Amino acid sequence: MASESKTSEEIARERLIDLAAEFYDQFDRGEIPEMKLPTRTKSNIEYDEDSHVWVYGDRTSTRSANSVRGARKLLKAAYTIEFLARQLDEDRSSTLRELYYLSESWDAEEAHFSDQDESNQLVEDLEIVSKVTREDFHMRPEESGATLMGPLQIREQTRRGERKIHCQGDVGEGGYQIPNNPDTIEFLDHDIDFVMCVETGGMRDRLIENGFDEEYNALIVHLKGQPARATRRITKRLHDELDLPVVVFTDGDPWSYRIFGSVAYGSIKSAHLSEYLATPEARFVGIQPQDIVDYDLPTDPLADSDINALQSELDDPRFMTDYWEEQIELQLDIGKKAEQQALAARGLDFVTDEYLPTRLDEMGVI
Amino acid sequence: MTSFQSTLGEDEGIAEELAKGQREISIAEFFEKNKHMLGFDSGARGLVTAVKEAVDNALDATEEAGIQPDIYVEISEVRDYYRLVIEDNGPGITKEQVPKVFGKLLYGSRFHAREQSRGQQGIGISAAVLYSQLTSGKPAKITSRTQGSADAEYFELVIDTDKNEPEIRTSKTTSWDRPHGTRIELEMEANMRARQQLHDYILHTAVVNPHARFELREPGLDEPMKFERATDQLPEQTSEIRPHPHGVELGTLLKMLAATESYSVSGFLQEEFTRVGAKTSSKVIDAFRDRHFGREMTWKTPATHESDELVAVVEDAIANKGKGPTAAFAEELVDIVVGKDRIAHEELEQIVGNVAESVGAETDTSFGDTVQANVVEALWPVLTEDREGDIYSLVDEVTTTKKSDAGKVSISRSIATQFAETTGPADRATHDDVDEFVTWAAERTKERQDETYGETARENIVDALWSRMRTVSDDVPKVRDIADDRDVARDLLEGMRETDILAPPTDCLSPITAELVEEGLKKEFDADFYAAATRDAEVHGGDPFIVEAGIAYGGELKSEGSIDLLRFANRVPLVYQQGACTITHVVKDIGWRNYGLDQPGGSGMPNGPAVLMVHVASTNVPFTSESKDALADVPAIQDEVELAIREAARDLKSYLSKRRSLQKRRKKQDVLGRILPQMATKLSEVTGREEPNIEGALARIMNNVSVDRDVDDGKVTLTVKNYSSTNEAPDITDIVSAEPSGLNGDATVVDLDGEWFVKWSPEVSAGESATLTYSVAQDASFDINVDGVETEKLTVNA
Repeated sequence: MASESKTSEEIARERLIDLAAEFYDQFDRGEIPEMKLPTRTKSNIEYDEDSHVWVYGDRTSTRSANSVRGARKLLKAAYTIEFLARQLDEDRSSTLRELYYLSESWDAEEAHFSDQDESNQLVEDLEIVSKVTREDFHMRPEESGATLMGPLQIREQTRRGERKIHCQGDVGEGGYQIPNNPDTIEFLDHDIDFVMCVETGGMRDRLIENGFDEEYNALIVHLKGQPARATRRITKRLHDELDLPVVVFTDGDPWSYRIFGSVAYGSIKSAHLSEYLATPEARFVGIQPQDIVDYDLPTDPLADSDINALQSELDDPRFMTDYWEEQIELQLDIGKKAEQQALAARGLDFVTDEYLPTRLDEMGVI
Repeated sequence: MTSFQSTLGEDEGIAEELAKGQREISIAEFFEKNKHMLGFDSGARGLVTAVKEAVDNALDATEEAGIQPDIYVEISEVRDYYRLVIEDNGPGITKEQVPKVFGKLLYGSRFHAREQSRGQQGIGISAAVLYSQLTSGKPAKITSRTQGSADAEYFELVIDTDKNEPEIRTSKTTSWDRPHGTRIELEMEANMRARQQLHDYILHTAVVNPHARFELREPGLDEPMKFERATDQLPEQTSEIRPHPHGVELGTLLKMLAATESYSVSGFLQEEFTRVGAKTSSKVIDAFRDRHFGREMTWKTPATHESDELVAVVEDAIANKGKGPTAAFAEELVDIVVGKDRIAHEELEQIVGNVAESVGAETDTSFGDTVQANVVEALWPVLTEDREGDIYSLVDEVTTTKKSDAGKVSISRSIATQFAETTGPADRATHDDVDEFVTWAAERTKERQDETYGETARENIVDALWSRMRTVSDDVPKVRDIADDRDVARDLLEGMRETDILAPPTDCLSPITAELVEEGLKKEFDADFYAAATRDAEVHGGDPFIVEAGIAYGGELKSEGSIDLLRFANRVPLVYQQGACTITHVVKDIGWRNYGLDQPGGSGMPNGPAVLMVHVASTNVPFTSESKDALADVPAIQDEVELAIREAARDLKSYLSKRRSLQKRRKKQDVLGRILPQMATKLSEVTGREEPNIEGALARIMNNVSVDRDVDDGKVTLTVKNYSSTNEAPDITDIVSAEPSGLNGDATVVDLDGEWFVKWSPEVSAGESATLTYSVAQDASFDINVDGVETEKLTVNA
């Protein structure tokens, strides 16, 4: 394991330096330094038949020193490459936020990042061009705080040594917190029938309180809104390595469908990592627009931004299936949205006693 | 008035009473009471106006004599008054003329002439004399020496305001150091509050008279203000012209008709107007005939197969001429008529006349006037039988397919009726008549068919009809008859206006010319950019005029506040009443943002470091008042002013946009010049290699021309790479400290005191490069200089 990770670090370092060398050569040849990247918009993602995930298409955009803006980006890239290469050399790691603040210490003022989005994006750019993941650059996001709860025993390689943890027995009600690099986890043993990813904390707590995980041998993954990479990565590993069905349970609004989309199909921003992060077999439980109608759930009207988001999902290749088209059209038609917790209108146990068993049965999961 | 009327019966002597108080007012007396009209409304203003009048006269006099003007103005304080002295080097004024020129209002040679000159009414300088005598009581002192005379004449004179005649107080000969010229000295009550306007006046005069030299001394100046000559070129001499037919008004025309010695209209037009020759005069006369007599409608002639019928009609109309001649006449006539496409009444009369002559001669028969008239009378109704059908085909041709056939039939029938019933036998109508016919017919059609013929449709029909109508050849009235009849004169005037006539000759005008406008601006304003435009001559009220505009921008011009507007009329600066002037109105209406100048609110005076000058030269400049401060809003002049300004402003715009793009480019180059080296440094750190050369990349990014030097063992290679999208021809001078040898290509070497100037001017197409090689001793040093490429577009690495 140790030698393996060292190799990936070496590869990461090498690739970064190769990238710098490419810029160098461009200068030397009297050419304008540039970096070609796939265009990261929904019009440039396509379904990969082999891996069943959505990846970037052929369209590329160029960051070129031709303009002042492009030149600044490349200058920042050069500084970031140097920083990452040294970090790998010294076997240290840092967070994305630290990188943003660290840029303030660079001597070239033009190289300072103006906000964290910019530094995050640059790291993603470097991932794409060098084909090395952020984790291998030793760049961490801030803890997302997403958790697992269910009949699973794991071994985690922490900086303070190995830990063996049972994700039901050894943890409190809060569950087991997913580490930033879930590849340091080894699955030891489990009793899981299916993995259920839940969007909101309120619903996750309801399921635990009602003992849903125990009753159905379910591993509850708390997504905490738009899931972090680590959350999506561990979900994928649970599916691939333990051969478990994965279902996603979210609110019934367009933003929540995107949460499902990023678990199942990969996100547009990180489509270069879809193969590594997306679980194409994941399925959507609800809340479906159909449920709003069937269970007569308490609702809020769709805001204009919701309607725009739904319209835009209709153009999104990830949602171009009969199921989604039907559901989205229905939602636009009724003009309503509902939260997961709207199910409580039928009593606190309705979700665990009635809604989920019925839905999961329909889907053939239980 | 009413009160007088009510008492009229009681006191019959009232009119006589009033008459006692009525007397002739002398013109001098009138202006004494209306000083403001002449620009003498205040002491401050009076001084400026007096200087202006005297300087204008001086410039006119010198130019007329072909002398380069040298004008001296001095203002000094003398006890309670100001003394004004103006001297010129003009031709001088003869002893007889001096008192009249300076001592009589409305005396001048220019009022009646259509020729550009500064003064026009002949009141200016005598008004100054009058003002001086009214405020200080002192006579004007005039010295004048004509060329070649041994002595100068000296006068002291005042104006007798009752009689408007000069009153000479002193007259003697004196000596004067100028070989020729005129000097006037006036004392007046005044003040220097209008110092700025005075300076402006002199400065602006210097701008538009780059051929003149000025010197101004006044108490507020430590040093005299001097304006030197920028050109030896005197303004073109102007010549007088006759009025242009497009410019006269009815009253003027009537006066000219009454006064002319010409007998015929044609002669009158050619004699009294400019740009009218035989051809133009006949065009004008035809246009007059169309208005005065109307045109005759032409009708479609019958088809050939109807000839027999026509022959029969003609034969029936001729009595007692014998069978043979009658048949010959009828056949010949019908042949000609049928051979024509359309025919008008007058034309028919002419043809009948011709046939009568030719057949008459052949058959030895006389077809007299009566016979001819009978034939026409018999034939015309046959020829005009189908007016309706003829008009229908015209209407059908010019109306849209949307109009119903019934409507077209209806309107055609109504028009045909009008021709048949209201035009007399000859189907003769003026354009106005035809217009009425069609309007009436359209109304009837609306009533009967409920189909509307709108304005455009009606106009199309009128145009179609009018174009088928023929100008008649009736004799036009004689000049004296027209002179007595306003209505006929009005027809003639309209005919003159309608006819296209060449613009008046411009030798009566003396524009400054764009080149000298620019020169004048350069002389007096220190700016970065100058542009000027001179328009072609146009006509207003029979007077030709030319508008010129010039712009100076940037440099030392003040950048805060609105631009400076300099207005000129016939080379005279207008310094008062800017707001009332049409030039100002035009400037304010132009959207200056389009031309790169700041203009708050998008209208009004633009802001920025600019001077805009506009010069209107005309044989008769339309001022808003006698004081000649502002041009009146005359549309023709406004249009030209606008076009002239826009023309000059377009150059300004391209200059400014180029400047902005160069500024942007410089900024980009500055930023990239900082970023790219930092990037290169960082890259060399990461890769552990030497710093890369980034000049090529930089030049390529900036689409620049780059010049690189490579020295290898005494072998020097200069490479010019053109990364721009246009061809470039840089002039490269490489100054070498040792003698170069083995030059390739077309470079030349000049030895200058131990320094060798290698000169090389390669033509480098877009995307291409050129190289120069030469050999030189090892320790040589180089100093390269590149010209012919804008600094912003150049990357030198040599």
